[in-house]
Amino acid sequence: MTIESLVGLVPVAPLLAALMIAAIRLFDRSLSDAAERPTAAVATAGVAVSLLLLLILDAATLLQQLPDRVRLGIWLASGRFEVALSFALDTLSLSLGSLIALLCFLSLRFSVNNMHREAGFHRFFFALSLFAAGMLLIVLAGNAALSFIGWELAGVSSYMLIGYSQERAVATENAVRAFVTNRIGDAGFLVGIAASFQWIGALEWHRIGSGAAGLDTLSAGLIALGFVTAAAAKSAQVPFAPWVARALEGPTPSSAVFYGSLMIHAGVYLLIRLAPLLGHSGTAMALIVLLGVATALYGWLAGLVQTDVKSALSFATTAQVGLMFVECGLGWFDLAAWHLGLHASWRAYQFLAAPSYLQLVDGPARPVPHWLGKRRWLYTAALQRGWLEPAGDWLLLRPTRGLGRDMNAFDNQVVDRFIGIAEPARSLGTAAPVQAESGAVSRGYGSAGQLLEIVAAQLARFEAHLLLQGAGGTLRSTLAHTGDYLRAVEALLERPRYLLLLIMATFAVIL
Amino acid sequence: MGALPFLSLLLLIPVGGALAVWLWPQPARVRIVAAAAMGAELLVAIALVGCFDRSDPGFQHVERGPWIPSLNIEFLVGVDGISLLFLPLTVLLFIGVIVASWNFRRALPRLYYSLLLLQLAATIGVYCALDTLLFFLFWELSLLPLYFLVSLWGVGPNRRFAAAKYTLIMLASGVPLLFGFVTLAFNHAQVSGAALPGGLAFDLPTLLATPVSGSLQLIVFLLLLAGFAAKTPVFPLHTWLPALAMEGPVGVSALLVGLKLGVYGLIRFAVPLAPDIARELHWLLAGLGTVGILYGAVTALVQTNLRRMLAYAGLSHVGLVLLGIASFSIQGIEGALMQTLNFVLVAGGLFLLTGFLYRRTGSTDTVSLGGAIHSMPRLGGLFLLFLLAAIGVPGTSGFPAEFLLIVATLNSHTGAGLAALFGAVIGAGYALGMYRRIFLGPQTNPAVAQAHDLRPAEFGLALCYATVIVTIGFWPSLVLDLIAPAAKLWAGRVG
Repeated sequence: MTIESLVGLVPVAPLLAALMIAAIRLFDRSLSDAAERPTAAVATAGVAVSLLLLLILDAATLLQQLPDRVRLGIWLASGRFEVALSFALDTLSLSLGSLIALLCFLSLRFSVNNMHREAGFHRFFFALSLFAAGMLLIVLAGNAALSFIGWELAGVSSYMLIGYSQERAVATENAVRAFVTNRIGDAGFLVGIAASFQWIGALEWHRIGSGAAGLDTLSAGLIALGFVTAAAAKSAQVPFAPWVARALEGPTPSSAVFYGSLMIHAGVYLLIRLAPLLGHSGTAMALIVLLGVATALYGWLAGLVQTDVKSALSFATTAQVGLMFVECGLGWFDLAAWHLGLHASWRAYQFLAAPSYLQLVDGPARPVPHWLGKRRWLYTAALQRGWLEPAGDWLLLRPTRGLGRDMNAFDNQVVDRFIGIAEPARSLGTAAPVQAESGAVSRGYGSAGQLLEIVAAQLARFEAHLLLQGAGGTLRSTLAHTGDYLRAVEALLERPRYLLLLIMATFAVIL
Repeated sequence: MGALPFLSLLLLIPVGGALAVWLWPQPARVRIVAAAAMGAELLVAIALVGCFDRSDPGFQHVERGPWIPSLNIEFLVGVDGISLLFLPLTVLLFIGVIVASWNFRRALPRLYYSLLLLQLAATIGVYCALDTLLFFLFWELSLLPLYFLVSLWGVGPNRRFAAAKYTLIMLASGVPLLFGFVTLAFNHAQVSGAALPGGLAFDLPTLLATPVSGSLQLIVFLLLLAGFAAKTPVFPLHTWLPALAMEGPVGVSALLVGLKLGVYGLIRFAVPLAPDIARELHWLLAGLGTVGILYGAVTALVQTNLRRMLAYAGLSHVGLVLLGIASFSIQGIEGALMQTLNFVLVAGGLFLLTGFLYRRTGSTDTVSLGGAIHSMPRLGGLFLLFLLAAIGVPGTSGFPAEFLLIVATLNSHTGAGLAALFGAVIGAGYALGMYRRIFLGPQTNPAVAQAHDLRPAEFGLALCYATVIVTIGFWPSLVLDLIAPAAKLWAGRVG
């Protein structure tokens, strides 16, 4: 066993710690002080082991130049598609990995006292250990798929910590919203992975970088677009930015590492890692600059009007991360990496010290700058945080929910009746399938049954009415009925959500 | 190899158990007999997995015996990598049903447990039958116990309707299935040129080797698809699923949601028996899948009842599996199989936990629940794990399956793949949104506040499922190695 293969244990140690905490808590549910000790010890030890291993690897790199990559085996193989247990040991991964392990260790140690006798003490340490594992996996993984695993683990642990106060409705709703927003980014990541597999045939970061040279601009741009979406969602760039403000519901130490210093930088890490790929797509670079500028402005403007310390810090972070995106978009990846490391360390300290600021800072909060106070519309925009969230709701959430309600009604009223026996409780009394007409032949259920019934009834009517009376009256009423149905369908189609659905369906067919 | 007739044992143990249930002197204790039979069944199933030769892609442990010799219908059973793992997982799910009904005093316990054991035998038969008519027999036999289980012991007021609806839809879809199999048998007689009763062939290996002309393939594929679609379920034939989820007895609905027999039928029979047409009609499968994903996900989003939400979520998940099959790639089929295996424990487990919740609070409606995790932390914690597995979060068995499926789909049907990603995003929304309304937030209902956490047996069962889910999540090659040779053969035959 060589020294570089130790890197495989780095994310495993906190993961094992998380599993151990979960196992202990499943069997021992006491909330005593004594029960806190093993949990805290396991969590701290897990991250400490990671830190130690990383320090050994750092030292080994300095002394004898380790290889840039190691491959420890295969995690998942299916035909040509394989996910290797490969890790990156270059300066970017090792330095960021060490920083992450150090910050996680410090905030865990901080939390042992800070979270003492909190109701969710054990949950907190479980989630934070899981987060440390995910975060370390993101930066140390040698391929996109392994990074993606860390990416999602970080998302899940952030869900658990935002919803930390389980009895509060606001906190838990924010947790769901943050997770769903993150999920959009995850979808982008998956597009990037699938496109890399399709066009480059590999998921290793260095192969994606080198393979991009042989791609046309469109393919490289599509791969980049997937990853950039992922990065923008995780780093709370402009269309996705509001989730980070909602995420502050979590306990302070977790806010420090998640949204102050570590998770919010994961997107920047992804961009730096993909620098060779992004270099082949000017459009992607321009998009990154655009997102970065918009986010920096958004964070700066909204940050000016915040009145509580955590929100102010959070918007400052958003603005800084926006600047890092700008740096990446301009091709200054080294600068972005330095910026990332320094900002992460400083912001972690600030967030952890945030509760003490209340005592340290004497006097009222700083007033809104004069020039902003004068421009009322700008002031409102800042207070409303650019209306990003209502816009997102209006564009995505409301149509989807509306569609859901329509589909649910459709399912109960139409599909259910069409297929078979509708349950009596849910079928409407007004629309009994068979009128007690004298001409009704028999009663049928479901589409097949009703088809039979209709055929029988029509034959009977054909004999009784049409042959005797001629077409006029019946035909007119049938046409009038059809007209009513068509009008109802048209009214539905005029709703924006169905327009959207039609456009989406067209896209699905074209692709 | 295989000195023991494993598959016959697997079929006979539950039947024997069902008889023993009636012979046992104390009716109140028959649950022990049922549990013992299930335990023995599980051991045999695990032994079968242990004796399985993982390098052989073909059928193993084949047992053959005459059944209706004049028509060449045989008793022919065997397993390969596709069907093997369904056996132990199915038994595990049935054990879960027993645990869920353990402390519940019900009328006619003998009938209940013997029906449950017969249902197990029929389900196992579906998974290992290699003769098409034998398969059809088990397929239809699996309807009967379920009808009585739901209509006699269901929890909802409309249980009779739900049971009748399910049985009627399934019986109706059985007709095209039988026609499809008979068409294939006659085709074999025609191709081999033998006289009619003698030339008929119903065994799968022979049928797979028999060439089928294009137009006949079209007929066969559509017939089989129509036969399997209802049980898969596919939109618009899914309405029995939410109905049974609401009306069925607590444990039994887990069987309906967890066991995706329709998907198995598609993979085992419909696609390999009409490979050329299946490949040509890839858009049909992909279209059904896409509609299922979107329809199920969007409808699940607005449900106010946990059980209905889970039913629609199941529809959405099956859509993704169909997309994986429609890709005809090795990643697609392996993902589809892994996901279907995953459902057994995840969807089944979610329904069992929902049942435990229902037993304690008398409701699964968001209106009357909320804050359940405060009084039932174990139930809530494990439920979250299962839910995360259902939406494919890493560290659970759902992740490798969904990952393979989405990669395969994005490469074969990009538009449908994007729809699947949209479904995954909404999936997080409906799953966690429902979790929030049921388990988190303030407690409003005194029944929730007084509810007890999981009993040891329930806890042990859920923990056992959770262990399997997490183990496969971290070590997917445990499953993939068993599936891979057969999946490669499958993909080679149709791809």
